[in-house]
Amino acid sequence: MMVKSYDFDWNVVTSNFPRLLEGLGVTIQITLIVIVLSMILAVPVALMRMSNIDIVRWVAQGYIELFRCTPLLVQLFWVYYALPTLTGITIPGFISAVIALTANLTAFMAEALRSGFQAVPVEQIEAGKMLRLSSWQRVRYIIIPQALRQQLPVILSLNISLFKDTALVSTIAVADLMFTANKIASESYRALEILTTAALMYFVIAFPVSLILSRIERNMMNQGPSGTAGPNLLSRMVPGLKVKAAA
Amino acid sequence: MSQLTNTGSRRRVEPASSTITASHGEILVSARGLQKSFNDRMILKNVDFDMLAGDITVIIGKSGSGKSTLLRALAGLTDPDAGRIVFDGKVVFEDEERTDDWRDVESHVGMVFQTYTLWPHMDVLANLTLAPRKRLGLSAAEAKERAEVALAEVGMSQHLRSRPSQLSGGERQRVAIARALMMRPKLLLCDEITSALDPPVAAEVLEVLRRLKQEEGIAVALVTHDMAFASKAADRVVFFHEGEIAVNATPDEAFNRSTNPELKKFVDAVRF
Repeated sequence: MMVKSYDFDWNVVTSNFPRLLEGLGVTIQITLIVIVLSMILAVPVALMRMSNIDIVRWVAQGYIELFRCTPLLVQLFWVYYALPTLTGITIPGFISAVIALTANLTAFMAEALRSGFQAVPVEQIEAGKMLRLSSWQRVRYIIIPQALRQQLPVILSLNISLFKDTALVSTIAVADLMFTANKIASESYRALEILTTAALMYFVIAFPVSLILSRIERNMMNQGPSGTAGPNLLSRMVPGLKVKAAA
Repeated sequence: MSQLTNTGSRRRVEPASSTITASHGEILVSARGLQKSFNDRMILKNVDFDMLAGDITVIIGKSGSGKSTLLRALAGLTDPDAGRIVFDGKVVFEDEERTDDWRDVESHVGMVFQTYTLWPHMDVLANLTLAPRKRLGLSAAEAKERAEVALAEVGMSQHLRSRPSQLSGGERQRVAIARALMMRPKLLLCDEITSALDPPVAAEVLEVLRRLKQEEGIAVALVTHDMAFASKAADRVVFFHEGEIAVNATPDEAFNRSTNPELKKFVDAVRF
C-alpha cells in the first residue's frame, strides 16, 4: 500500500479552535437537555409499558418500537422536514434536534428502566405494600432507586451513544461540533486536521464517562451477593490488564 | 379508624391501635369459607380459620398446600375467590372484595417474608423509618426513636446504620421483623422466615417472635417447618393438607395425640 505524503498544518486548528469549542458547547448543551428530558419522560413510559391496561401498554410499546426500529437520521429529518408540513409550524433546527433525540433516547431509556423495574424482587415491593406505602411511594422509594442503580451502566452507555449521535444534527443545520468542523474543513480544505481534532474532542468528553461506567460496573460486581470480584470491563477489553478491586 | 394528633406545627396520623378491641384470648381474626384457585387449581378449599389475640399459631404442611396463600389473604396481598374475613369484629373481606373497614385495620397487620426483603439501597434506619415517616407522618426524630426501640426488641440495636448487605441472614430477618413492628401491628404474619437459615440462627429469630408475643401481646401466624418451636412456643398448630385445614389443635394434641395419618407422615418427614 502506498502512503501519500501529507504536510500537516495544525495552524488551521489553533486558529479555528474557538469555533470548534463553540460547536462543542452546542453539542454538550443538546446532550444535557436531551438526557434530562429523557430521564424524566422514560419513567412514565416504562410504567406504561408494564401497565395491566392493554391499551396503555400497547401505546407505550408502539412508541418504543417505532423509535427503536427506525434510524435516528430518519427521525431527525422527519421532525425537521415532515412535521412542519403536517402542522404548518416551522420548528427551528435546535428544537427539532432536541425533540427527535429526546424521543429516541426516551424509548431506549424506558426499556432500560422497565428491565430494572422488573428486576426488583416482588417480595421487596410486597414488603412496601405491607408497610402500607402507596403505589407511588413504592415506585419512588423502592423501585426507581434500585432500577436506576442496576441499570446505571446501560443508562450511561446510552448517554455516551447519544453524545456521539448528536453529530447527526449537523445534517439539519444545527451548529454543533460536527457541523462546525465540516464547515471549517470545507473552508480550509484541511479535513484531516479538523476532523481529527473534532474526533479527539468527542473522545475527551466520552472517554472519562466510559471510565466511570467501567468503575461503576466493577463496583457493582464487587458488591454482588457472593462478594467475589468478577472480571471488569477494562480488564476484559484490555487482556492482561489487572485492575485493583475496589475496597 | 386512624387518629390525627397535633405535634407542634406538624399533624400526624397515629397508628390506629386504639381501635383494636380484642384482648388476649379473644378472637382477633376469623376467616370463613375461604376459597382461592390459581390456574384452575384450588389452593384453598373452604378454609375456616380463627386466631386469638396474643396467640402464636404455627401453620405447617407440604409446599402448595395453601399455607402461604392463607397468610397472603389475611395480609391483603391476595384476594380470595370466595369467603369472608373478619378482623377484630370488622368484616374486612366479603363478596370477593376488601371492604372499607380493611383500610381502617390494615396497618395492624404486618408481614415478614421468606426471602430477605430489606431494601438494599437503604441502611437499616432508612428501612425502618420510611413507612412511619411517609404513612404515619412521623418526623425523622420520632421515627428514629421508634426504630431504636424496635431494633432493641429484636436485639439489633448496634446495626442502626448497617446496610442489609453487611448483615447475616438471621440479622436481616430480625431487622425485617423490626421493620414490621414499626407500624405497631397486632397481627404479624411470618411466611417461612427461617427456611433459609441455619438451625441455631433460626432458633434465635423464632425466639424473637416468642418474646414479642409475651411482651407486646402481638399475635403471630407463622408458617414454619421447625417442629421444635411449634411444640414449645405455639398456642395452636394448624396442619394444611391439599388446601384444607386437616388438623387445628394445641401442639400436644397435634403432635402427640392426633390420629391424622397425613400429619404423622408430614411430621416424620420433617423431623428426620
